[in-house]
Amino acid sequence: MKKVVEGSHAVSEAVRLARVQVISAYPITPQTHIVEALSDYCADGSLDARFICVESEHSAMAAVIGASSGGARTFTATSGQGLAYMHELLHWASGARLPIVMAEVNRALAPGWNIWADQTDSLSQRDTGWIQIYCEDAQEALDTTLMAFRLAEKVNLPVMVILDAFLLSHTFEPVDIPAAKGVDDFLPPFMPQIKLDTSNPYALGQMVGPSAYMEMRHNIQAAMACVPDVLDSIEDNYQQMFLRRYGAVEAIACEDADVVLAVSGSMAGTCRQIIEDLRNAGTKVGMLKVRMFRPFPGDAVRKILQGVPKVAVVDRNCSLGAGGIFAQEIRSELCNLEKRPEVYSYIAGLGGRDVSLNTLEGICRQTLESDAPSHGSVWVL
Amino acid sequence: MSETVMPDKNSLSNFCMAPDLLLSRSSQTTRSNKTGDWRFVRPVYRDKTAPCSVACPAGEDIPRIEMLAARGQFQAAWDVIMQENPFPAVCGRVCFHPCEGACNRSDFDTPLAIHHVERSIGVHALEKGLTPSTEPAARKKKRIAIVGSGPSGLSAAYFLNRLGYESHVYEAREEAGGLLRWGIPEYRLPRAILAAEISRLEGLGVHVHCKTPVARDILDARDTDHHAVFVGCGHAHYVFPGIQGQELMVDGLEYLRSVRAGTAQDVSGDVAVIGGGNAAIDVARTLIRGHARVYILYRRRIVDMPAFEREREAALVEGLTIMELVAPVAVEAAGNRIRLTVQAMQMSGEDAGDGRARVVPKGDATETLTVDKVVAATGAEADPAWAPSTGAGPGRLNMSHCLFEERGIPIIYGGDLMSPVLSIPHAVMSGKQAAMALDTYFQSGMDAVIPRLEACRIGKGPIVSMETYCQGKARQNNSQAVTFADIKGDMFSVAKRQEPPELSPELRIKSFSPVEACLSRESAVQEAGRCFNCGMCNGCGYCSIFCPEMAVKLGEPNTINLDYCKGCGICVAECPRNAMHLETEAP
Repeated sequence: MKKVVEGSHAVSEAVRLARVQVISAYPITPQTHIVEALSDYCADGSLDARFICVESEHSAMAAVIGASSGGARTFTATSGQGLAYMHELLHWASGARLPIVMAEVNRALAPGWNIWADQTDSLSQRDTGWIQIYCEDAQEALDTTLMAFRLAEKVNLPVMVILDAFLLSHTFEPVDIPAAKGVDDFLPPFMPQIKLDTSNPYALGQMVGPSAYMEMRHNIQAAMACVPDVLDSIEDNYQQMFLRRYGAVEAIACEDADVVLAVSGSMAGTCRQIIEDLRNAGTKVGMLKVRMFRPFPGDAVRKILQGVPKVAVVDRNCSLGAGGIFAQEIRSELCNLEKRPEVYSYIAGLGGRDVSLNTLEGICRQTLESDAPSHGSVWVL
Repeated sequence: MSETVMPDKNSLSNFCMAPDLLLSRSSQTTRSNKTGDWRFVRPVYRDKTAPCSVACPAGEDIPRIEMLAARGQFQAAWDVIMQENPFPAVCGRVCFHPCEGACNRSDFDTPLAIHHVERSIGVHALEKGLTPSTEPAARKKKRIAIVGSGPSGLSAAYFLNRLGYESHVYEAREEAGGLLRWGIPEYRLPRAILAAEISRLEGLGVHVHCKTPVARDILDARDTDHHAVFVGCGHAHYVFPGIQGQELMVDGLEYLRSVRAGTAQDVSGDVAVIGGGNAAIDVARTLIRGHARVYILYRRRIVDMPAFEREREAALVEGLTIMELVAPVAVEAAGNRIRLTVQAMQMSGEDAGDGRARVVPKGDATETLTVDKVVAATGAEADPAWAPSTGAGPGRLNMSHCLFEERGIPIIYGGDLMSPVLSIPHAVMSGKQAAMALDTYFQSGMDAVIPRLEACRIGKGPIVSMETYCQGKARQNNSQAVTFADIKGDMFSVAKRQEPPELSPELRIKSFSPVEACLSRESAVQEAGRCFNCGMCNGCGYCSIFCPEMAVKLGEPNTINLDYCKGCGICVAECPRNAMHLETEAP
């Protein structure tokens, strides 16, 4: 059934459909609407879940780690500083192989205080062992959240479903909300491979020496490596049932492009328009939407970009002292190709600044007119 | 799934090998880690004294009463009251509840309605016909005479009875109760309630002999067959102001008595009541119910009136007029009416010696008022035949609420004759103090009396606890009173004080029906639940919830497993009501 809902509530709706059993969260703008709606669902009985109120994001993550270790399907959500506060426990969640799903609303980090869109918060957590998927619109946020539970529980790794602040979290769009029955068929109850058991007490995550720690890490890396294939098969299944799929990456008109714009998040929507406009005006432009950032879909990216002369990566984030983070990843995936495109890195839209059609058109033209990429990232101020 | 490295299983006995999942796991318990070794301070449960208990003139263990009432255990709550006060249903109505003025909840939202809860518990006990669950002490074969059946005499008789003595109360009038029966109007204390509480005392073995006046000879060891006497004959009549024509005035106490006896003549028209105490208010409110227009004439300011403010305010809404700073100087007949000459007074700024400002005449000018009746309610005094002698000397003990004289046999003067404040709960305390003093005297002699009473004090004041005297375990003699700063306000929610419905002033003055209704049982439970239970463990379990070592075991009492308690003090910090503290470990 199609309904006009806020981006945040598309996520809340997916969590209700997923029959999550334990939610713990601490409110922070722009994430608040997600958990506000969920607490309503818990209160009105439309979601049979325990909502644990806590005093911080650190505790919220600790609570879902506990609940997930006990075998419950769990969810939390946060944003910006809140995610930074969770950092220590993000490592624990993945190391303990817990299939926690978290909605992360991208928000710029302070100071100065800024509540608007900026991906640096989630990208700062790229090495924590969480799967990261960036969403373009509200429908995608709902679908991704539902698929995230299947994915997390299949590979025993936590998943972050990422939305741009306000541009996505607070914007109302028509969203097709699947029927509960269909979702139940797609997403059966969580059957943990291992969980805490009061009748046979033991502790998980105990001391491990040099003789085994490395094997455990390798085990996680191995699970990460199989995520693209697992996601692919989950998406196949989802598409059969609900007629939508997204892929870890999406390529549009890249085959004959003189330049490909590589984008992520809500910026992809604007990019679709500029591609069409520029193509109509005779410029051969393509688009690469990178949806999954961890694990990074290197194979797919290489396949799309080999043979393309120029890639312009537009990053709404910055690894200070290095540059745009998506650009770094793409560059490193391409570096061993014999015939590789030139990678142009642009930083735009930090702290919620608008990335308009004009911004993307300017990036496109500057890339086409340049003889070679500059050494660092170009800041579109 | 892709490749997964499986390490050598022999080196990984602690590993759980779910398919494609490599996790560390241990079934070893952490019990072997006795964190108690780290401790250098230990938490202990130690009850403190609640400020309401210190303020209660009868010495009731209020936080315990409220705790039990909040659990719906009204019988247990009533037993706790009965350990200190034999009149829960009476005091729930007529006590001026200084406890509520001391309530720590005042600093949070509004004080607990302690008297309403007490009344509800008292009514419950009367409806169920309850008797105290605690057993009285073994019979001691000693007979005590009690002169007067007012609240102090009946209390002395009750406590002496509980301590094993045979108590005989002698009352000159036809019914027992003293001021409760004859001085407090029906709208404040219905006769049936008083009669029921007195007949319960009789059921417990107190002998009440009405219409049995005794002579002062009873105090003479040679003329009595009693082993001790308690004199609680109270203040028999009002003191007239000593002015010209005062024989035209009516004795206020006598008037109240006649109303309660049903023999009063109708009084209507304009009535002047002289005085500013509770008696003046009782007289005024009673007259208003008889359709009189009533004026209180008081020589000081309204704010100086000793009457309880709540009573005074109730009288004002019922139509009383108070004239302040006027003193009567003469009364004379004026036809069928009475002409009252009054002198205007003013504050002199000097201290009158009793903490109040002295008032002096304002010039020489006088005014006259013509009224139908003048009632004196200026202050009462004892029948001179029973007045105790004053001074100190051998064989005399001046206690806070009694005078103990050894004259062959012990004689104790109590009640209004001796109490620092003339009120019902002070009279109860006087009777209790007398019982404890006599019991100590008979068991250990005169010199033991004062130290024994000292050991039973509640907080730092003079009020004593019978529960402590009987060496009960509920009340520890801890003088530290809990303040609001000791309460963890964050642990409590603001909650509305429960008030029972009240008759409108228009309806009240048409009859002697009780002004205030009794809280329903449900509301009383709810109200008792507002109590912080200052300084007393009520089993809330926060210590257990917050203990990081799970070393607190809840029970009665709670226990702490010292093998694991590492002395972090979180339980003490989280206790909402200051019932715990940390003690340094003995080296």
